[in-house]
Amino acid sequence: MATSPDPLPDVSRRKFFSRSAAVAGAGGLALGAAGAAAVAATAAAAPLSDVELMAERGHLSYPFYGEHQSGIETPPQDHLVFTAFEVTATTATELQLLLAKWSAAMAELTAGNPVGKVEPSREHGIPVDTGEATDMGPQGLTLTLGFGPSLFDSRFGLEKFKPVDFADLPAMAGESLNPAFTGGDLCIQACSNDPQVAYHAVRNLARIARASVTTKWTVLGFGRASAGANQTTPRNLMGFKDGTRNVLGGDELAEHVWVGDEAGQAWMAGGSYLVARKIHMLIETWDEDTIGDQHSIFGRTKKEGAPLSGEKEHDTPDFHAVADGAPVIPADSHIALVAHENNGGTKILRRGYNFTDGLDSVGRLDAGLFFLSFQKNPEHFVALQRKLGASDRLNEYIRHVGSGVFAVPGGLPAAGSYYGKEFFD
Amino acid sequence: MPTLSSRTFRSAAPAVLAGMAVLALSLTACGSAAVSGGADISNGDAAPVSNGAAQIAVSVEKVEGEDQCVPDFASAPAGPVTFNVSNKNASSVSEVELLSDKRILGERENVIPGLKAVSFTVTLTGGNYQLYCPGATTEYKPFTVTGAAADSASNGIGDLLKEGTDGYANYVSGQVDSLVVAVAALRKAVDSGDVPASQRAYADARSFFERIEPVAESFPDLDPALDLRVADVEPGSKWTGFHPLERDLFEAKAITAGSKALAAGIVKNVGTLKTLSAELESDAAYQPEELANGASGLLEEVQSSKITGEEEAYSKLDLLDFAANIEGSQQAFEYLKPALVEIDATLTQQISSKFDTVNAALEGYKDPAALGGYKAYTDELKATDAAKLTALIQSLQAPLARIAEKVATV
Repeated sequence: MATSPDPLPDVSRRKFFSRSAAVAGAGGLALGAAGAAAVAATAAAAPLSDVELMAERGHLSYPFYGEHQSGIETPPQDHLVFTAFEVTATTATELQLLLAKWSAAMAELTAGNPVGKVEPSREHGIPVDTGEATDMGPQGLTLTLGFGPSLFDSRFGLEKFKPVDFADLPAMAGESLNPAFTGGDLCIQACSNDPQVAYHAVRNLARIARASVTTKWTVLGFGRASAGANQTTPRNLMGFKDGTRNVLGGDELAEHVWVGDEAGQAWMAGGSYLVARKIHMLIETWDEDTIGDQHSIFGRTKKEGAPLSGEKEHDTPDFHAVADGAPVIPADSHIALVAHENNGGTKILRRGYNFTDGLDSVGRLDAGLFFLSFQKNPEHFVALQRKLGASDRLNEYIRHVGSGVFAVPGGLPAAGSYYGKEFFD
Repeated sequence: MPTLSSRTFRSAAPAVLAGMAVLALSLTACGSAAVSGGADISNGDAAPVSNGAAQIAVSVEKVEGEDQCVPDFASAPAGPVTFNVSNKNASSVSEVELLSDKRILGERENVIPGLKAVSFTVTLTGGNYQLYCPGATTEYKPFTVTGAAADSASNGIGDLLKEGTDGYANYVSGQVDSLVVAVAALRKAVDSGDVPASQRAYADARSFFERIEPVAESFPDLDPALDLRVADVEPGSKWTGFHPLERDLFEAKAITAGSKALAAGIVKNVGTLKTLSAELESDAAYQPEELANGASGLLEEVQSSKITGEEEAYSKLDLLDFAANIEGSQQAFEYLKPALVEIDATLTQQISSKFDTVNAALEGYKDPAALGGYKAYTDELKATDAAKLTALIQSLQAPLARIAEKVATV
């Protein structure tokens, strides 16, 4: 909202503008790269105070309008709130209103603005925005909207807008899906460098829609578990680097992630398919496994993250290397099963987060990986997961407990457009 | 808790007069005041009249990068005025209101970029008004109506609201009268020592109380004396009212001298409630915003104590109370509806339709054979249905909570 005062020190914002020039262009940022990169690029400048550093982080924002939705090629932020919704509205008009309201609110939120008055002027007014992200800045917030296959059933007359072959994921080996974490008509992936900013966004979007949707399930991710462009590779809760050979950008995005006309739907051009898998890790038993076994399960070393055939993290794995008559990287190791070399070139963009929900019903740590991937065809994920479910040695230590697949429409061109507009014209 | 508070109820009568006086002053005094601050509006002429109403087009759009509300005319002749509102590309604005002082005379919500234009019509007398666009860089734009000023403070909406509050006061008195009869029967049954008859009488009495609970809550001593739950009892203090009697009748299933004293206490306190609520009616003390807040407050009650099963922990009559809360909420809404539909027809329709949905869902829980006419709210039923019921009520409360602001008289 243009009238809201800017609580973050302006002095630091100006510095940030000038500092970030050194790394402009990286990852399509609106203001520049993440604070850490900006600081690194200008190490010779006077060090920033804590307040200035926080302000830099706060001001980071990504454009809301563009060819693609943000939150896909965007280098993963630190925190995630993922929520799937069921539409309870019964008419297409209500759904249209919901999507238009969400689109406008998402534009405001990703710019660091409230969705309405935090403090209405009238005594009997109800605050429109819930207020807990006031004065925090956008914090790199991205909001990515997806449509589940069920949205295209007969309720709203959207059958003819369903992308070709878009359906719920098939049942696969290695699953014990809980309906409480599966499916949904709509989803929102909220990512931010501050957990409260991400939570505020989803909370307010859900509130705006309370008369027309219910929240079906939600996952809070507390640390990124995939690398994006210009990022170091983070670790999953098993202690291994995750996402070393990720799709990072450039031509690979067009080849593996962005949908063109193959969906048979104009609204999917520039979009992608999001697959969400809530993967519970049997952490306590994993922790008691030997390092040798852990290495051969992943096919990589633990500290460096190097393929067992190499020395450095980014060494290309040699799946043909043999020692003592056996493959150096076991054929049933995780990286051997999913490598593009062994899957006809298939790559998917992974954007997962570590999560924890406290303890499970039998007293174990309830934690794991909230796997998120974007690909131009959900079948690419299915093909990889079928292999993993059948023979991944990691299966002894993981359970897929939640699942969803969503069609992510292309980006909005400019203010005045909204997601799904084509459905109602 | 956004329920009726005793403070506002008790001071309400003088506030009505004061509020009316202020409104009268603003309408008449401003009628002759000079127009000011209208320079940024594109056209200073009065809007043309067609279809019996002056036509104002309000475009919500980005102007030099800032979200603004831009009316094509800043003035209209007295009489019906139609505002046609569209949002081109201003994502921070989603509603437009016409105000007289702070009072909303008409408005449209869901003014969202990309959606079709919407309109509202208000009948205005001469004077100064404001177009209010919450979220815009300039939120208030002056709007002037030329011609005859109002000769009294009451406009059509004010009269409708007054009829509504009078009607609601009468409804409350009717419920309290029925409650008086029902608790007398409860006391008689308890005194006779007949546990099954007492259980039935308990169930019969509860609805009358639950329908008008915000009114009882507005008297700070009365509600705890009548309706305190065990979890809310201060250690060392005496627990009175419906719920300790409920425990005797449904858990111990035994009537003691203590049970009889509890029943007698309920009769006495309900008598006090009758006296106090009769005063509220004769003083015309109810304010429209109190009805609105009470309607929303009853839904808060449903969520915080009925769906959780805390209200009727021994008798499991929570769904009976649930239905009574909904009915009381809907009654308050219905009395406001004739005025509210003038202010915001779309929201009024939305709330009506949500009440229909909730009532239809409640039908599924009816059981003529069960005590109170609804299924017992057992732990099993709670486990399977509570989340569904919560979603149902939240989707009604979200729009209902917003009406207080629209009908507020101060």
